[in-house]
Amino acid sequence: MDNSGNLTTLSEESEEQPQQSSSPSSTSAFSNISPRPPSQSSSQKYSPLDWTDYFDQEDDICIPDTENVFHVYKAGSEGPVVFCLHGGGYSGLSFALSASKIKDKSQVVAMDLRGHGKSISDNDLDLSIDTLCTDVLAVLSTMYGDSPPAIILIGHSMGGSVAVHVAAKRTLPSLAGLVVVDVVEGTALASLVHMQKILSSRAKHFANVEKAIEWSVKSGSLRNIDSARVSMPATLMYDEPKKCYVHRSCLEETEQYWRGWYEGLSEKFLSSPVPKLLLLAGTDRLDRTLTIGQMQGKFQMVVVRHTGHAIQEDVPDEFATLILNFISRNRIGPHGIEIPGLRKPAK
Amino acid sequence: MSFDPVPSNSHHNLDEQIGQLMQCKPLSEQEVRTLCEKAKEILMDESNVQPVKSPVTICGDIHGQFHDLAELFRIGGKCPDTNYLFMGDYVDRGYYSVETVTLLVALKVRYSQRITILRGNHESRQITQVYGFYDECLRKYGNANVWKTFTDLFDYFPLTALVESEIFCLHGGLSPSIETLDNIRNFDRVQEVPHEGPMCDLLWSDPDDRCGWGISPRGAGYTFGQDISDQFNHTNNLKLIARAHQLVMEGFNWAHDQKVVTIFSAPNYCYRCGNMASILEVDDCKGHTFIQFEPAPRRGEPDVTRRTPDYFL
Repeated sequence: MDNSGNLTTLSEESEEQPQQSSSPSSTSAFSNISPRPPSQSSSQKYSPLDWTDYFDQEDDICIPDTENVFHVYKAGSEGPVVFCLHGGGYSGLSFALSASKIKDKSQVVAMDLRGHGKSISDNDLDLSIDTLCTDVLAVLSTMYGDSPPAIILIGHSMGGSVAVHVAAKRTLPSLAGLVVVDVVEGTALASLVHMQKILSSRAKHFANVEKAIEWSVKSGSLRNIDSARVSMPATLMYDEPKKCYVHRSCLEETEQYWRGWYEGLSEKFLSSPVPKLLLLAGTDRLDRTLTIGQMQGKFQMVVVRHTGHAIQEDVPDEFATLILNFISRNRIGPHGIEIPGLRKPAK
Repeated sequence: MSFDPVPSNSHHNLDEQIGQLMQCKPLSEQEVRTLCEKAKEILMDESNVQPVKSPVTICGDIHGQFHDLAELFRIGGKCPDTNYLFMGDYVDRGYYSVETVTLLVALKVRYSQRITILRGNHESRQITQVYGFYDECLRKYGNANVWKTFTDLFDYFPLTALVESEIFCLHGGLSPSIETLDNIRNFDRVQEVPHEGPMCDLLWSDPDDRCGWGISPRGAGYTFGQDISDQFNHTNNLKLIARAHQLVMEGFNWAHDQKVVTIFSAPNYCYRCGNMASILEVDDCKGHTFIQFEPAPRRGEPDVTRRTPDYFL
């Protein structure tokens, strides 16, 4: 990836970068051995990438009669809108790499949810499912008014719960598809008891953005360095008194809302009347409700291999292909599901 | 009545192997290879629409639930005392896919005229790599050879069967590309299950309350309405389409004004769904009796608790 024009946070580190200038010109016994490729310094390898390499534009959506301003990234100009909701602690840029692949055939919009990324709200700690749903519906209605295009809602993890709940409200008549990425009610609820420990064991302070990107990859939370380089910076903020970068979202303080994200999720997912796709990372971890639903043929499930939890970041090409195939298989056009000849008897 | 293709001296071996499998003990890799070679010889001569005589007991998905298959034989009668027609999905999800599919293939080789084993959508290289059969083979044999042997054999499994010219049996359902049984008879089935097209549809489609053809929510195959079933049954002089593929809580479920029936033979599917299983007995006079059954009592089965994922964010 080209990362030129991306030197914003490199000033202090740049002196450390070795100048990879001269290859030895003397003739020696080793001259027929091709020189090793220059080893990248850590700050180069983990330098931030700009979102402009992946999305076409950004926008701030001011919700009328509120103090809330939601930041969105957009790509593409044709086809239905793939509207992306990130997981807790991530940002809209979690979808950057996959958006750059999807945008040729579909529009992509990825918003920063409340308390995340560059969005501004009256209460960043209110991550209740109702508030998050209200936010998403407000952004859609502010962006598209009364004539929204066909929308495929995609949500990852916490964002998957928001997508399912928004779909279940059935207030979006142009909703044409629902995609949930690596979250299942049964296992999510079972894992909640471990979450404070997992959160508290995260690294919290980073001397610079590069260190945070390096941590996200080395800790295994992201497996794709390029995606980490574009997505990780937006999850940080600079702490002036501490003179370091910290996580922008205060997830530890939102525990009271966690159960609400997941309780009843499987039933709600199945009850949504639009085509549905569930992407799971690595293993089939369906709960009882979803196992029955899948065995009755109510949704499509794909287990994606060789990926961590953030499928859209770790394997963006495969993710984009899955999304585009879902759209085309279900014949979702810019105005909704377009099925000439189907639902009629064959003869 | 029919002459078994295997000479009697090898019956002894085969009977021993079947006895071993009935105790849920897998065969050796070499034994599996030899067994599958014999099975291939038998299956390659079967039709895409394999004719079957009554009486016969028709069964749906098993999914590696070996102890429930043993219960099925206790309830339905031993093979060859009872004739059986299995409609696919022997492997994946349950803990004993290896023992389950090996037993069914061994019975097929031993009593080829007494048991028919159709192909389900899980009898495929791609699906078994995701849903457990591949991993189970690695775990039980230390390598993927047995998985390769079986998935190569799956290509030869017939796709559909026709009981007494009037009950059309298959794993999934109908296809908009297929109007007649002759359409099915004419295509080359010896291949991996394709992602689309008529062969894929037969293994993936589901009946639906809505009329006409629909896009299947599963991501493969179609949904078909009663009008489609009526037309197909009329064109092909059929009384009934019997199929599996969908979990039904009672073990069987009528659809399309009793023109289509779903049969599911894995009780408490995945050890968590709480459903009944059933089999359909078709007697000499073509009368139908469903027999429902519950999970077999079991001990020492692996715990169902799954690893807690390290996420929620």
